[in-house]
Amino acid sequence: MSKHVPIGLIETPFHPRLEPLSRAKKWMNWAGYISAGVMDTLEFEYFAIRNQTTLFDISPMHKYRIKGKDALLVVNRLVTRDIGKIRDGRVSYVLWCDEDGNLIDDGTLFRYSAQDFRLCCQESMLTWLIDTAWGFEVTIKDESHNVAALSLQGPTSYSLLSDAGISVGDMKPFDWCEVEPGLWISRTGFTGDLGYELWTSNDQALALWDRLWGAGHHWGLRAIGFEALNICRIEAGFMAAGFDFQPVHHAVRLGRGRSPIALGASKMIDFKKGHFNGRRALLTEAQTGPSHHLRKIDIGGFKPADGALIYYKKKHEVGHVTSGVWSPTTKRNIALAEFKAPYGDTIKNDLWAEIYINKEGQWDKRLVRVEIENKPFFQNARSRATPPKPF
Amino acid sequence: MQAKENMMPPKTYDAIVIGAGHNGLAAAATLARKGHAVLVLEAQSSIGGMAKNVELMKGVFAPEIAHLLYNINPTVARELGLGTIFAPLDLISLATVSLSPSGDHVLIKDGTPQDMAGKSHPEAAKYTEIYQRLTKFAGLLGQMSTKTPPSLAGGIKDITDLAQAAGLTKIGLNLKLMGKKDMREFLRVLLSNIYDHLLDDLTDSPLSGALAADAVRGAYAGPRAPGTVFTLMYRLGNGAMVTLPKGGMGAVADAFGKAASNSGVTIRTDAKVAKVMVTDDRATGVQLGSGEVIMAKAVLSNLGPKSTMMLAGVEHYDVEATRRLRHHRAKGTTAKVNLVLSEVPEFTGLKGDLTHARLIIAPSATYVERAFNPVKYGELPQDPVIEAVIPTLSDASITTDGKHILSAILSFVPYNLKGGWSDAARQELREIAIKTLETYAPNIRALILEAQVLSPADIETLTGAPGGHWHHGEMGIDQVLTNRPANQLAHYHFGPAGYYLCGATAHPGGDVMGAAGRNAAMQVIKDGVLK
Repeated sequence: MSKHVPIGLIETPFHPRLEPLSRAKKWMNWAGYISAGVMDTLEFEYFAIRNQTTLFDISPMHKYRIKGKDALLVVNRLVTRDIGKIRDGRVSYVLWCDEDGNLIDDGTLFRYSAQDFRLCCQESMLTWLIDTAWGFEVTIKDESHNVAALSLQGPTSYSLLSDAGISVGDMKPFDWCEVEPGLWISRTGFTGDLGYELWTSNDQALALWDRLWGAGHHWGLRAIGFEALNICRIEAGFMAAGFDFQPVHHAVRLGRGRSPIALGASKMIDFKKGHFNGRRALLTEAQTGPSHHLRKIDIGGFKPADGALIYYKKKHEVGHVTSGVWSPTTKRNIALAEFKAPYGDTIKNDLWAEIYINKEGQWDKRLVRVEIENKPFFQNARSRATPPKPF
Repeated sequence: MQAKENMMPPKTYDAIVIGAGHNGLAAAATLARKGHAVLVLEAQSSIGGMAKNVELMKGVFAPEIAHLLYNINPTVARELGLGTIFAPLDLISLATVSLSPSGDHVLIKDGTPQDMAGKSHPEAAKYTEIYQRLTKFAGLLGQMSTKTPPSLAGGIKDITDLAQAAGLTKIGLNLKLMGKKDMREFLRVLLSNIYDHLLDDLTDSPLSGALAADAVRGAYAGPRAPGTVFTLMYRLGNGAMVTLPKGGMGAVADAFGKAASNSGVTIRTDAKVAKVMVTDDRATGVQLGSGEVIMAKAVLSNLGPKSTMMLAGVEHYDVEATRRLRHHRAKGTTAKVNLVLSEVPEFTGLKGDLTHARLIIAPSATYVERAFNPVKYGELPQDPVIEAVIPTLSDASITTDGKHILSAILSFVPYNLKGGWSDAARQELREIAIKTLETYAPNIRALILEAQVLSPADIETLTGAPGGHWHHGEMGIDQVLTNRPANQLAHYHFGPAGYYLCGATAHPGGDVMGAAGRNAAMQVIKDGVLK
């Protein structure tokens, strides 16, 4: 029998469980997979992340295995951080750039050993990794379709795992290990809260789901979609590809790329580790300063300001909101916003967001005060407590 | 200034130049003339790269690879004192004869074609018109050759360097000053093909054949390929004089060598560089195959761009740069056949001293296109395009006992020959060359005393030119000016600070011009890395 390439979106290994649970039937396209936008109700799902525990299917994420004698050299050539400083069994949040120092994508790098890594990211990266590895002794394998993954996030996630017979009490944030043969767990997530990500082979996916689901009732477990998660990541101050920066390989127009410096991630650059992609351009930018600044902002009022233009002295347009939501936990109107330098950096006062509000067919325009924030909007000690408590 | 033979050589140099081809020597001499201590390292046992003599029989010297000097850059010649008593270089100007199997050859002298009876060629007026127009257009391109190409890294708006902007503006202005008709014509023909361009006005004959052959010599392209009008203009723009150096091409190498050593440059042969050392993103010196380490503030490489990258190590280059350099187009298509002859061959219908001329076998533009076809499939052309010269007729100093040399460049010989380059394949190529020459000079076979055959692969081995390419890389519109050798690598800087490209693979490219080496040296000085 001949094999055919499936037409349209395809199902993740967890779809047989997600489909009957979905009341909203609000599906999205995530890297060609059917992925939940909302499973039931956005508000329920959001509060479950912050007060209970939640399962989100992250199988559509691109996953690449970088293996071989020169694997450490290759990942260090790829990303801006020094992966030589990351221990085996640790995960690192990483950024990687093109030759002009503009961000190609961000993601998480899992270190098995100096000869073996897994990179997880939003964008398809196979050809870029193959070209990065040219001249080095490594193999690059696309594991995107072979590894099933779930994100278990929320204050009771640790307790749920314990009840499911999975012991992760001594795992610190960004640790990762094989807790059982074939089941890897990392203490990572996109919520800024206590949480774990679980990785297994496709054929073990449903058994894993059932095991967690079976242990979840007592801990308020809910299956969630992307929209609830998106509120949490803005609360945590995490930028997202396609929203807060344009992955430069997809940007068609000149000048749409942004450097880690412009995105406020200068600390993620290690200029001392030797050459890495975009280093020379970033070194120049570190001296001359970036053209833009991505900042966390607090906006007056309570109307979400997604996409709003930002003005200086209510007059000069100096930026725009890249991701804006009402934060239910902090009861603040928050956002990430991009400013043209030097606004958002040396000029932080007298900034105003222009918000349009539709009142039953009648539009109202408001200029609302913008304050620059330095810390994540949502921070909670439980996210770092080791061992976590049964919150 | 004399070479400092009795002094201990310094352990550290200001600059090291890898490769003693003419561009390497031009770069070294330019730096040394500004008072810098320069060392040139050559892997072979003699200097000169492609511009060299080879002794085929006792006392008989052939131009091993390149055999004529078309485009020596006047600025380089003046600055280095080439042709003066300190670096003697006598050039004999040659006419061109485009051969016809019927004996109805065309003589092209001073840009005007004539027939063998000395009468004006029937297409002379049209030929002159095309030639003058292309030369005029070529002038626009030629003025770029002694300048660093403009940078477009950040788009037009980011050209902050006034000199660069001025250069571009000047081209734009000169383009406008040509007048609307010429400007339109320039833009129309720039990317078109030389075959159609010539045959719009000329018949398909040895006259158009010679121009078509000149347009694509050394290129991996037939005359019907787009961009071949441009390559001809580029050649004309850098001066299209055909000259024979007295003493052979070795005299050119010697002149460049003398200009360098007169300026205090140290030249070491049999010194193959194994590695360029990089510390903190800065080239700090080289390590030789022997393990010897020599330090310098700058390292200039006369090699191809990919080899230059590999010497420093791929880890010092951005992924985009390695992509571009891996795909740098450098498939050499020129082979060399050198024959030692017991006497001067008789070319049917070629009278008097015209045998001295540059002889072109390209009896029509269609012939040139057909000769190109087999190279696409890794096969040898059975009816090749040949540029031949008998230098011993103009210069007796390179031979003895009345023997003569016929030096032939065969176009469209594949670098990647199907089945590989073996002695049998070289033998086959030699036979093809002789058979083709016999069509025009029937008695030539009996006169052959000795023959040397160099495939593009052999030329690569001898010189390090990637693919054995005549210009170290295709001179296509995608690989010249701001894109030579590749986008973002066009300013002689080559990755780590203090590391430079100085060969034909850099702007303005191939032929024995010396401009790339000289420009690279000027860039080194401008950057202030030697301070």
